[in-house]
Parts: sequence; structure tokens; C-alpha cells
Amino acid sequence: MVKKISGDDFQEVLESKKAVVDFSAGWCGPCKMLAPVIDAISSDLDGQVDFFNIDVDEAPELAAQYSVMSIPAVILFKDGEAVSVAVGFRPQPELETWIRDTLL
Amino acid sequence: MDRVDIAIIGTGPAGISAAITSVIRNKKILLLGSADLSAKMRKAQEIRNYPGLPAVSGEALSAAMQEHLSSMGIEITEDKIISVYAMGSYFALQAASGIMYEASSVILAAGVTAAKPFPGEEELLGRGVSYCATCDAPLCRGKEVIVIGFSPDEEKEAAFLAETASAVTYIPMYRQEVQLPETIRVERARPAGIASDGQKRIVRTQEGTLTCDAVFVLRESVSAGTLVPGLETDGPHVKVDLQMRTNLPGCYACGDIAGKPYQYIKAAGQGNTAALSAVSDLDEKKDS
Repeated sequence: MVKKISGDDFQEVLESKKAVVDFSAGWCGPCKMLAPVIDAISSDLDGQVDFFNIDVDEAPELAAQYSVMSIPAVILFKDGEAVSVAVGFRPQPELETWIRDTLL
Repeated sequence: MDRVDIAIIGTGPAGISAAITSVIRNKKILLLGSADLSAKMRKAQEIRNYPGLPAVSGEALSAAMQEHLSSMGIEITEDKIISVYAMGSYFALQAASGIMYEASSVILAAGVTAAKPFPGEEELLGRGVSYCATCDAPLCRGKEVIVIGFSPDEEKEAAFLAETASAVTYIPMYRQEVQLPETIRVERARPAGIASDGQKRIVRTQEGTLTCDAVFVLRESVSAGTLVPGLETDGPHVKVDLQMRTNLPGCYACGDIAGKPYQYIKAAGQGNTAALSAVSDLDEKKDS
């Protein structure tokens, strides 16, 4: 399950031990294709990692703060710190391996 | 849009051969490319090593392949694919027309392009360099942008960016007259490389340097690795095994895109092999 959050709820990401944040937008094609992939991974890693989605149009300051210049941008957080970024669509096996290797 | 069994990207000898074999094996296909098949093949003066057709001209070979496709009722869908998403159980193919095609498997037969990325371009992709104006224009609100366009088709992308960005500089990589709104500065310079100093992006040209916040490199065709995220490539080629399988299950490559030698008969042979691998894998999935 992926929790949609706004800039105000970002505290949840900072307080999480292991988080995946998908920065995307409704008008972005690759973002729409990545959404079900992230959703599937969130099921596989249910209970181990927290998954969030942020709309960059709703939270432009956050996008700027984390230097998001192209979307989709998936940022991995460990104890509130951004530790790794992947920009653009990736197939599930590749994305899931990266998340497991980085966070677990 | 119905999901087909096999989507074939490219209408040169590799794609045509793959289409023919797939149809003979009763698979539903989508053959994407040009109704003229392959300009490269048409222009060939004389092909002497295509078994059965000694000293055939490119035009004649092209006509023969066209006839072969027609005789089997195989149609060509003229639409340029700009992205292929490997969704696991199927592939989604984003076309320039806006249509999203779906296929259980994909055969890449799009040939090779001579275009090489600029130094720094691939390293900065996603961090200041983008290939997609529609995707990233909103992120350029109030920013300065440089657009490197490889064909007049890209001028409308630059005009679109100008609606959001604070300033757009357009570098045309062709000689024709450029038709753009006056607010866009046209710079006739040859880019030599792209760099970033953390804050700004710098485009080096033969004449000097240009600074901006984001660079859009808009080419006519994209490399295989860019077209299919997650695909393993080796320079301009897609990595395949002897059965034309790539690292992505359900995705195959054949012809020039799969490597050297660049020969028509090799392409046709690989197209056949790729199709048989796709058919075999599809049938195995059905039975399991």
C-alpha cells in the first residue's frame, strides 16, 4: 500500500526508519506506469518499508528541496535522510532489488 | 486497445522476418514502423549475399518483402514508439500519437542510429538533462532552459516549454529555417558537451558556453536503453543470447540493434529466431 501525502504530512517520512517516496504528477506518463509497480513492491515489502507518494504540483517546495528535476523520482529514506534516488520508470525486478539492497 | 501477443518495433528485414514467422505461428501481432519499410534498405545499390536473390537491388528486395507482407495480410501500423514499459506480465508501448499499445511480448528490430550522446548527457539524465519536454516542462517553471533540437519537429516542444520556463534558448541541429515564437532565442552553435556545477547546467559549444537550469536534448530516435528502461545494452546495441532473448523476460531484439555484422540476411535470420523464441515463451506461459 502506498500512502499519498502532502507537504504537511512529510514529517511521517522523516520519522520513518525505512521509507520509499515516489515524487510524481498526474500528467506524467511514466509516473502513471510506475505507480502499479511501486504498489506491487509495497505489497511485497509490507511491514518492512513505508511507501509514500507525493504530487510535485501540490508540494513544489519539497520537490525543490530534494532537487527533483525530472519525474518520476523515487527517493529512499533511512531514518529521515535521503540516501538514494532513481529517476524514471524501472521494471519491478530492478526497482525492488535496489530498494531491498539499499534499505533492508 | 486490445493486447496483442507480439509487438514488433521496426520494419526493416529483421522486423519483417519476425512478423512473418509470428503470423505463421498463429500469433496476433502489431508491426510498428514505416509503410516504406526501411529507407536504408531501399537505398542499397546491390546486395550479393542474400541467398536465392543474387545481385538484388535494395529497391527490389524491399518490393519483394512488401509483397510477402501483403500476401499474408500483414499490415504496418505507422506510429513511432517513444517508450516501452516492462510491466511484468505485459509491455505497455507509448506512441508519439498518444496511443498506449499493449503486448504480451516485444521484439526490438529498430536498427541502429549513428547519433551518439553528447559528453555528459547520459551522466546528467534526470539531474538537469531531460529527453521529454511534456514530462518535465512543469518542473521548469520560472527556470532558464536550453533545448537542443535535432529536427524541425522539436520546435513545437520548445514552444511548449516557453509557456512555463522563464527563458528558452533553442539550438537547432539542422540547417533549415527555424519557426519559433520571438521570445525564444535561437543559437546556431554546435554543442560539444554538457556539464553541471551543482547549481547550473553548462552547455559547451564550439563558440563558448551557455548556462541554464535544464537542458532538453530532443532527438528523432532514442537509444534502445532509453526506449526500454531496464534493458541491458552494450553501447548502441541490445545484449541478446543466441535465441535473441534480452535480460527482460518477453523482450527480444534482432537485426542491427542486436549488434554486428550489419547484414540483411543476418537481420532476417535473427528476426525469425526472435519470433520463434517469443512464440515458444508465450506458449509455455499458456500451458503453465
